[in-house]
Amino acid sequence: MTPQGDSVQRPLVLEAQGISKHYGGIVALDDVDLTLHEGEVLAVVGDNGAGKSTLIKALTGAIPKTAGVVKFDGVETQIDTPTDAKAAGIETVYQDLALVNEISITKNVFLGREILRDDWLGRWFGVLDFKKMDGEIRDLFSKLDVRIADIYREAQAFSGGQRQAVALSKTVMFGKRVAILDEPTAALGVRESKMAMDLVRSLKDHGLSVIMITHNMQHVLNYCDRVMVLRLGKLVAVCDVKDVDGDALVGLITGATDAGATA
Amino acid sequence: MSQADSQTAVSSPGSSAGALDVLKHNFMQIWQVLAALALIYGFFFLMSEPFRSFDTLLSIFGQASILAILACGTTIVLISGGLDLSVGSIFAVVGVTVGIFMAEWGLPPVLAVGLGLGMGAALGALNGTIQVLTKVPAFIVTLGGLTAYKGLAEILASGRDLSRFPESFKFLGTGNTVPMLIMFAVALLTGLFLTKTRLGSRAFAIGGNEEVARLSGVPVAKSRIYYYMLGGLLAGLAAIVEVAKLNFAMPARGQSYELYAIAAVVIGGTSLFGGRGGVGKTLLGMFIMQTIIVGLSYMGVGTSYQRIAIGAIIIVAVYWDVWRRSTR
Ligand SMILES: Nc1ncnc2c1ncn2[C@@H]1O[C@H](COP(=O)(O)OP(=O)(O)O)[C@@H](O)[C@H]1O
Ligand SMILES: [Mg+2]
Repeated sequence: MTPQGDSVQRPLVLEAQGISKHYGGIVALDDVDLTLHEGEVLAVVGDNGAGKSTLIKALTGAIPKTAGVVKFDGVETQIDTPTDAKAAGIETVYQDLALVNEISITKNVFLGREILRDDWLGRWFGVLDFKKMDGEIRDLFSKLDVRIADIYREAQAFSGGQRQAVALSKTVMFGKRVAILDEPTAALGVRESKMAMDLVRSLKDHGLSVIMITHNMQHVLNYCDRVMVLRLGKLVAVCDVKDVDGDALVGLITGATDAGATA
Repeated sequence: MSQADSQTAVSSPGSSAGALDVLKHNFMQIWQVLAALALIYGFFFLMSEPFRSFDTLLSIFGQASILAILACGTTIVLISGGLDLSVGSIFAVVGVTVGIFMAEWGLPPVLAVGLGLGMGAALGALNGTIQVLTKVPAFIVTLGGLTAYKGLAEILASGRDLSRFPESFKFLGTGNTVPMLIMFAVALLTGLFLTKTRLGSRAFAIGGNEEVARLSGVPVAKSRIYYYMLGGLLAGLAAIVEVAKLNFAMPARGQSYELYAIAAVVIGGTSLFGGRGGVGKTLLGMFIMQTIIVGLSYMGVGTSYQRIAIGAIIIVAVYWDVWRRSTR
């Protein structure tokens, strides 16, 4: 395997071996390994259709994987549903599937993990504790400097950058160990991208290990510790970011600089 | 919608600007429906002398109340992105069974009502379960339910005289008032369910984007079954009120109720595609529809023409819904 640099010294949080995903005859992902160390930001790069989203979906139980094992803290762990992943402390922002447009920011942040009132109404009828949820969201947003004026408004009403900020805040609030982000800056302007990447950095500051899919080589070089390159469903390289530059990465992505398989 | 006003700073915790904003927001959502109601009501008010009395207003509410109870359930199901075409037939089955419980078995009304509600809930849950297990579109599954349950109601009722029920039962259908009170109670509870509880509020998320809901850890299939179950339960309650009011039960009752309920829900502004809506809107939609029916009949327009009018309004309402979605 490729040299892994100094982050290899830190303990592994997540380790996936031989992950494959077939859609009928289509091999979307072929025998991919992945390691994530404590406190690092791992970039996943590759051309469109390389299998990046498929990899993280298979990893987090969003889709059933055809083959492969996942180890969490060195222990083999069954992650078959998104709920299993959340229980393990893995929080994911899926590509294009971060928020429900029709519901408020508050409801989006707590969707699937709503806080119930701590009384008979909550216990018997599942009545929500809006006060508590709103309070927690406001605290979180002010801590992360996320500017959302009206948290009761439909998610639809906000800009791409604001929506992404909400999705990323959600990982800060709920992610215990790992945050996985699928193209967090896609379709964002320069200023909004910067805002999103600042949030990614604060994920790291909050003690989370991060896997980030991106097409932006500058973000890889500036914000990430290691990078893995996928091409046509296969892992073609894993290396320390300080050992590569943008051109080398682009070469690996397109297959131009790779000695091995080319399309 | 402007981006600028949502980019100002986070409002401080506990700030009380919220309540008024929410009220304003709610009004902005329904003002078009209110305006339509005012126009329609005003039109008949001008056109027809007898329409102007307070009794007419009361009878509009009274006649709509049974359908409105059923439509509260339809609201839940449609918000969750589902569809139940079989509630009219569930209505027939529950009406007939409750009739049998009392007229033939001599069960006390309380027990008959309880079993009837359970029957409605069970049939609704059955629809939901088949739908989430087979993944056959709700339209097809519940279309099957519509015919199958209707057949069941006919089999149960055949050769039976289901009438002359105990006084304590008939109380549920007394005049316009009691059904109306039941309707308001049901609407209030449905509204609280949708806005204040976890299961209810998840209906909007599931109807809005089922995949996001699933990825967020919401048990989508289980929740859906509950929504269909509630739809069946409320169809059952509507049937019970109607049987009490008519003092007889027969399997032909409830025919097309599912369509009228869907019409009222959509006219009120709940999205046929899920994710948006509310029970207050359904009451408004039902009021609009009933105003048209009563108004037209006061003007001497026959039922066949009324149906054509309602049909046209449904198309307008759905078109409006589609148009709003495309312009958001
Ligand atoms: N549900 C699906 N059914 C069939 N093929 C799929 C499905 N999802 C993804 N694929 C295929 O798998 C490959 C990898 O897709 P994806 O992981 O989304 O790529 P990306 O690296 O752009 O995120 C693509 O060729 C895509 O067409
Ligand atoms: Mg992708």
